[in-house]
Amino acid sequence: MFGDLGAAIQIALTYFTILYLTGLGGLFSERSGIVNIGLEGLMVIGTVTGAFGAVYFTDDLGLGVPVGPMLGLLLGMLCGAAFASVHALATITFRVDQIVSGVVINLVAVGLARFLSSVFFGQATQSDPGGPHLALIDIPLLSALPAGFGRAFEDLSPVVIVAALAVLPASYALNRTRWGLRLRSAGENPEATRSLGVRVAPLRWQGVLISGALAGLAGAYLSVEVVNNWREGQTLGLGFIALAALILSNWNPVRLIGAAFLFGFAIAIPRRLADLPGIELLPPQIIRMTPYIVTIVVLAGFVGKVRPPAAAGRAYEGGGAL
Amino acid sequence: MATVTTKVSAADRPPWLDAAIVQSVALLVAAGVALLAGSLIAVGYGANPLDVYGAIIEYAFRDATSFGAVLATATPLIFSALALAVCFKGGLFNIGVEGQFLFAMVTATWAALSLDFMPGGLHLLAVLLAAMVGGMVFASVPAVLKVKTGAHEVVTTIMMNGIAVSMVAWALNGPLKLTSLPTGTNADLRSDIFEDSALVPRLGAGLGIEDSAQLSWLFPIAIVAAVAVWFLIKRMRLGYEARAVGASPGSAKAGGIEIGSVQIKLFLISGALAGLVGMQQLLVERGSLVQNYQALLGFTGIAVAFLARNNPIGIIFAAFVWAVLSRGDTAVQLQAGLPREFVIILQGILILSVVIVYEIAARRLTYRQLQREVDATDAEAPSDLAATGGTA
Amino acid sequence: MHEPEAGSARTSPPVVMEHVTKRFPGVLANDDVSLEIRAGEVHAIIGENGAGKSTLMRILYGMYPADQGRITIDGDEVRIHSPRDAIANGIGMVHQHFVLVDPFTVTENIILGEEGGPVLHTEDAEQQVTILADSYGFDIDPAAVVEDLSVGEEQRVEILKALYRGVDILILDEPTAVLTPAETQELFTNLRALRHDGKSIVFISHKLDEVLQIADRITVLRRGVVVGETTPAKTDKARLAEMMVGRPVLFRLDKPAAEVGEPVLRAEAIVAEGKLNGLTLEVRGGEIVGIAGVEGNGQRELAEAIVGIRHATEGHIFLGDREITGTRVSEIRNAGIGYVPEDRHDQGLVLDMSLWENSVLGRQDDRPFVNGWGVLMLRRIKDLAARLIHRFDVRARSINATAKTLSGGNQQKLILARELETDPKLLLAAQPTRGLDVGAIEFVWRQILDQKAKGRAVLLISAELDEIYALSDRILTLYEGRITGEFSPDDPPERIGAAMLGRTEVEHEGS
Repeated sequence: MFGDLGAAIQIALTYFTILYLTGLGGLFSERSGIVNIGLEGLMVIGTVTGAFGAVYFTDDLGLGVPVGPMLGLLLGMLCGAAFASVHALATITFRVDQIVSGVVINLVAVGLARFLSSVFFGQATQSDPGGPHLALIDIPLLSALPAGFGRAFEDLSPVVIVAALAVLPASYALNRTRWGLRLRSAGENPEATRSLGVRVAPLRWQGVLISGALAGLAGAYLSVEVVNNWREGQTLGLGFIALAALILSNWNPVRLIGAAFLFGFAIAIPRRLADLPGIELLPPQIIRMTPYIVTIVVLAGFVGKVRPPAAAGRAYEGGGAL
Repeated sequence: MATVTTKVSAADRPPWLDAAIVQSVALLVAAGVALLAGSLIAVGYGANPLDVYGAIIEYAFRDATSFGAVLATATPLIFSALALAVCFKGGLFNIGVEGQFLFAMVTATWAALSLDFMPGGLHLLAVLLAAMVGGMVFASVPAVLKVKTGAHEVVTTIMMNGIAVSMVAWALNGPLKLTSLPTGTNADLRSDIFEDSALVPRLGAGLGIEDSAQLSWLFPIAIVAAVAVWFLIKRMRLGYEARAVGASPGSAKAGGIEIGSVQIKLFLISGALAGLVGMQQLLVERGSLVQNYQALLGFTGIAVAFLARNNPIGIIFAAFVWAVLSRGDTAVQLQAGLPREFVIILQGILILSVVIVYEIAARRLTYRQLQREVDATDAEAPSDLAATGGTA
Repeated sequence: MHEPEAGSARTSPPVVMEHVTKRFPGVLANDDVSLEIRAGEVHAIIGENGAGKSTLMRILYGMYPADQGRITIDGDEVRIHSPRDAIANGIGMVHQHFVLVDPFTVTENIILGEEGGPVLHTEDAEQQVTILADSYGFDIDPAAVVEDLSVGEEQRVEILKALYRGVDILILDEPTAVLTPAETQELFTNLRALRHDGKSIVFISHKLDEVLQIADRITVLRRGVVVGETTPAKTDKARLAEMMVGRPVLFRLDKPAAEVGEPVLRAEAIVAEGKLNGLTLEVRGGEIVGIAGVEGNGQRELAEAIVGIRHATEGHIFLGDREITGTRVSEIRNAGIGYVPEDRHDQGLVLDMSLWENSVLGRQDDRPFVNGWGVLMLRRIKDLAARLIHRFDVRARSINATAKTLSGGNQQKLILARELETDPKLLLAAQPTRGLDVGAIEFVWRQILDQKAKGRAVLLISAELDEIYALSDRILTLYEGRITGEFSPDDPPERIGAAMLGRTEVEHEGS
């Protein structure tokens, strides 16, 4: 049974990686004042371009290790950021409603992914399975844990480690640097930012581009490292769950770890722990609803209270003026 | 005032006409941008853009059945966009049309399967009613949360969408799981096949539209719904209240409008309309609830609503245009040699340029209105009260 | 780039603005304005709303580009394209509405944009802020979070933001509008300390008493033009007012006589959200009761509680014999209250709707305008709109124009027309002339006096003591959600002013 728990944690870590990276991207965007409900779409672009990068670059460049997966992840990041620039252009430069733009991003992403897939792979809805992936690693000490828990920390993608450690630079940048202070001020009160001679638009552009890069990375991780090919719809609404985790975290990178892992674990339960007493009574589809229900309950203020960045969702009139 | 006549005539244009002109221009510009971008892609594939667009249009209008198929494709989009527009007028963004229509397919399937003892017309009516009630129930959750706790409807409806997807999967694995496997069908996850009495009758046999067009009485119902929504918004108290709440909640409240009650009503109407989105596939095309249902109609409806600027009558035309494009993908592939996904890209660029161009146009319009008014008051003498009120 | 050297003898004034012209769509906000600000002076710029005071200073602060004119600082011509340029030239500005980041600390707000390196050193910065604040005798905790501060403290943060950037010229836009009298005096103490240190202070205001108290020199703007420059010693309130308005100003109107009738509105010990603390008052037919008080002492809450927008948690409100506590807004309005809200954009009009749609707001449930099926009777509503516009001389292109295209005065006229159309028993007018020009003010005053003449009751809530004096039959002072005194318009302002600060015993006679 503990063996199952270890395996469940391993799966949870996979989903944690996707949710944390995407959620962290959303965090930078929203703390800068741009609501980004297009995370799902940005992730979709990451999946298809990441898979393309992974299978297209088969040459190992004499390094002895396949560079395809690395380039896939990189390409996913770049394309995610590039696609996010559409959101930035619409919301910051043209001051389109941020929700409207986010919806459009999600809609367009589905079509664009099919289009790219047909260009890349000659078929619209999937690439050939079995693409290359990065070498898996075991975490020293943790992977030696007894009672099956060690399994949770074996055969992990390096991206998982990256995601788990991302909180450090993210928190530092946000709370301890000049850039972070300015970014947060743009999301709370852009008029204050502007009145002190700091331009709001570049900060918001940076926030949105980071969200695109991280969501793209998460998508590429999903297609390259987790599934080993691209399939239409493989993001399964994870972008929206990441958004939910972001809300639950109260836009805090440290609390986002807990929220992302919680929701990742909820997804893992039906996969590995469906036989546990109590759980067996619950249909897996019901468990799958947990992140959404938790978020609604939190939002309604039944448990705790969340406070989004004050200016998130509001176009800043002075944004395009400079 | 015998000033320059052109200025006077322009100034005397009623605001709605002014708005209509600006919006039409905006729409043309946006369409132009999209067509241009599409042309570039087509040229990139070595195709003549005119051939590509010609193929799309020709495919939609080549015969009655093709045209009927376009109308059938537009039908769910009309319901979906109307559902969005109703809420939008009241300042509510119902991104949950997707979830509401999915949940409504579950309730409608339940009604279709368990109320099959009812006579023909009544059975269908019950199924449609169940769909509308399902949509309303699902929409009531974000509505009540919004009114009672202030939870933002955008986020709650996004979450409700996630719940709805799992809800359909659960229903297909549980309560609605098929009990008898008809011969010749595979064992995909699906509900039992509905009785004919639950299906919406086809339309257009007399007009030469074949059954393959899938055109049904749902299409005229959608048209009626659009007119009804227009009437509601423009001519009824609830619509007036909704617009006031949407534009200025504080003034609406001070004017005695119960904001919460208006918002809940709008969400319920929106949910009822959303409930009908899935009926085209459920009661016309499939005749049962299947696992690989056509999703994203709720989101596509948002695009259609944007295209129409949330105007209920405009939505009919926007849905039609969208459907012409959507159905044109086959033609693009067969006749122009482009990937069929070209059409989705074209739609994406169209909607992107529409939202951006409308945004610019709206600012321009406001600016012009204000400027004209200031010009007008400048021309008049300063308040004559200054002259009459001098008792100092 | 010019770095002003502290203490150096200046030959030319720190700031000279010459022939500055600024045009907005359809409005000439500043017309050939010239202005000189000297070192170590408090220079007041006064004028009516829309006279161009704030525009002029925003040009100086780099928020708007001027269409024409030049600015010299310490004798050198400068181009100021942004607040950053302004700050570099030693100019700082405190806006009327504070621009602070609420969840940030005082220090974070102050250092934003001048962090002193890519990495934050919070403790060092807090120490610097403390030193700066102490040097001018500002009382502030550098680690406090701004959202926990009082309005007066927030203003100090705003001033410190400017001082932290080493400015020599500090522009304050209507700084006392949101302050209590005690806070105003503390501000003046701070300003004198700054002036003593050689800083120049530009004080934008329309409150003449304060200007006379703090200013060294006064520049008067009217309709975008400088109409005069003077000093407190050479002028007085009446003369300043006349310069601002362009003609003698009525501080009193002839009040019509009316027989005081039955009580129309009675509020008994109402309590609401910490803002109303057992407030009791009565208004009778044929009288105008003025509520005087510093803003933020429960004026808005009082109005909203009476109309039903917010609900009193304790106490009772009666309209005539009928208790309206906790009743819906629509019922209260139908029972006979006309409401002119303090913020006409937020509570009076739906700016994006047409005039005819705004005309029926509040009566959308009434039978003539809607039938039993909930269908609007457009013809009747448009007739109503035409009637209102005609009767109150609302200057508008047509009833189809949107409300946002009207001038402030015309918007207020439309609201008054609508609210008085039903001949309400009580007119509740909150800040009814805020932001209006003199012509419109007089029109509004006349309408209020007309109500009295007709034997209706009027409750007037205003931050302008002049207005209270001009209209009221009885004056009640409001302080911290309570009535602290009742006065007649013949009582001297000093007594009323004291009661507005809660300094006297409750001498309200009750109902």
